[in-house]
Amino acid sequence: MSASRLIRAAILPDYDQPIEVTTVTLDAPQHGEVLVRLVAAGVCHSDGHVVTGHLPLPTPIVLGHEGAGVVEEVGMGVTHLRPGDRVMVSWIPACGHCWWCVNGQPELCEQANTSAVSGERPDGSTRLHWHNAPLYPFSSAGTWAEAAVVPATSVVPIPDHLPYAEAALLGCAVQTGVGAALRSPLRPGDTVAVIGCGGVGLNIIQGARIRGASTILAVDPAAENRELALIMGAHHAINPAQEDALTAVLDLTDDRGVDVAFEAVGQPELIALAFAAARRGGTAIAVGVPTPNATVSVNAFAFASQEKTLTGSWFGGSYAPRDVPRLIALWERQQLQLTSLIRRQYSLDAAGEALYQLLHHPAGRNLITLHSSPVPPDISEKGA
Amino acid sequence: MPIFDTPEALETILGGFFERLRFVEQAYLIYQIGGTMEFVFRKPDTRIRWVPQPKTAATPFTVAYGVPTEPVLLTFEQDGDTAHRFWLGRVNLQQALARQQVVARGPLSRAMKLIPHLDEIYPLYAHYLEDVGHAEWIGGARS
Ligand SMILES: [Zn+2]
Ligand SMILES: [Zn+2]
Repeated sequence: MSASRLIRAAILPDYDQPIEVTTVTLDAPQHGEVLVRLVAAGVCHSDGHVVTGHLPLPTPIVLGHEGAGVVEEVGMGVTHLRPGDRVMVSWIPACGHCWWCVNGQPELCEQANTSAVSGERPDGSTRLHWHNAPLYPFSSAGTWAEAAVVPATSVVPIPDHLPYAEAALLGCAVQTGVGAALRSPLRPGDTVAVIGCGGVGLNIIQGARIRGASTILAVDPAAENRELALIMGAHHAINPAQEDALTAVLDLTDDRGVDVAFEAVGQPELIALAFAAARRGGTAIAVGVPTPNATVSVNAFAFASQEKTLTGSWFGGSYAPRDVPRLIALWERQQLQLTSLIRRQYSLDAAGEALYQLLHHPAGRNLITLHSSPVPPDISEKGA
Repeated sequence: MPIFDTPEALETILGGFFERLRFVEQAYLIYQIGGTMEFVFRKPDTRIRWVPQPKTAATPFTVAYGVPTEPVLLTFEQDGDTAHRFWLGRVNLQQALARQQVVARGPLSRAMKLIPHLDEIYPLYAHYLEDVGHAEWIGGARS
């Protein structure tokens, strides 16, 4: 097994602190793990939620939970990946053995969830160290870094003609958004509303288009997001800053409401809006991630008397080894757009600026681009 | 039957445990939390809080009862049985928040400072129950 190495990574030292781009120690991959030299990494709203403490993950943390790069080293027992493979990195390494994995909901994998919450591998260790203390990766990923050691189950090979930047988006935004639409009760010809058109919402729109929605209503206060929503396949873009979103949805659906309403922000009042916008017998789906102690208030009478469903979708119900190849196939047939989702690209050193833009001027998906030069040589000393 | 049948019983047992926590090495974590942490109990109804003290004080926090007179940073509301099981290490906080068995108010991220250390604290509660003559409660609550 090779020694630990020094890499540069974007770290959140503690909640509400500035991002620090610094040198950290990365251990060699162990059993079932791979070391990926990252080329591109996505900037997701969840990264922002960790910074503000709304998504309380352990700190210090290497941000980033989607990315793409090249496999540089594989641990024992890894058979589907080899050094030199081009891959994308995702963030729910489903174990395949827990109750949820066995019962067909690998996105809820117990082991993956425990690792995300604790920041540790199942044996309690971390592959990252900083100042002689454990450093945690965001959801077993930590892609805002020159390299990451991740569970091999988070990694899926990509074809040579899929650029790294586009592949990085497959890690979270596309699987979450497209998956939410594909696994919803949406039927061909249905009318849907998508509330919030950031990285995830735009992909819900794509998924709804692929699934055959006849009418897609997009709701977002940002002009750039509404413009992107129309490019992704929305038919109407509603600006909730200018008109009441619920009234607009009802006006566009003969007062019936939509068949399926998606919330892609993670705000309780918008989850309530999605529920209100769904027709009698319709479904509202919460896809955005609120803070863990948030509560939502909706009309209780509507559940029974209007047969309304309020449900949720985590990571779009996706399982990367199954879904990423299918998404790539849709991209190859021009049914899934990736390039037009990408807005700005930042160097690793500008990770703080990337976060600032995310929190203050969110639009489309931004990327951290890592230079593709070789990782610094191994160091002999562990735990720097 | 609830573990604590009166507010006084809860205050005596859990309050006594919190008093003991003032002197353990993890007590300094209250400074990382950065404010008063209050536990609001239902069944029986009462409230206990950890109030941070100046670093020159004998212990990092004091234990106070009743309606707070100072600003509270974080509140955890739960019933007495859930609290008992929590300190025994039998409550998954993530699940309990989702099921609203524990209702948290305030910046949850501040409580994250405590969570990695809970595994060190849970055994202290079991030891404490033994010390105060309630060893029979250690295995009693449904996990
Ligand atoms: Zn994400
Ligand atoms: Zn599993």
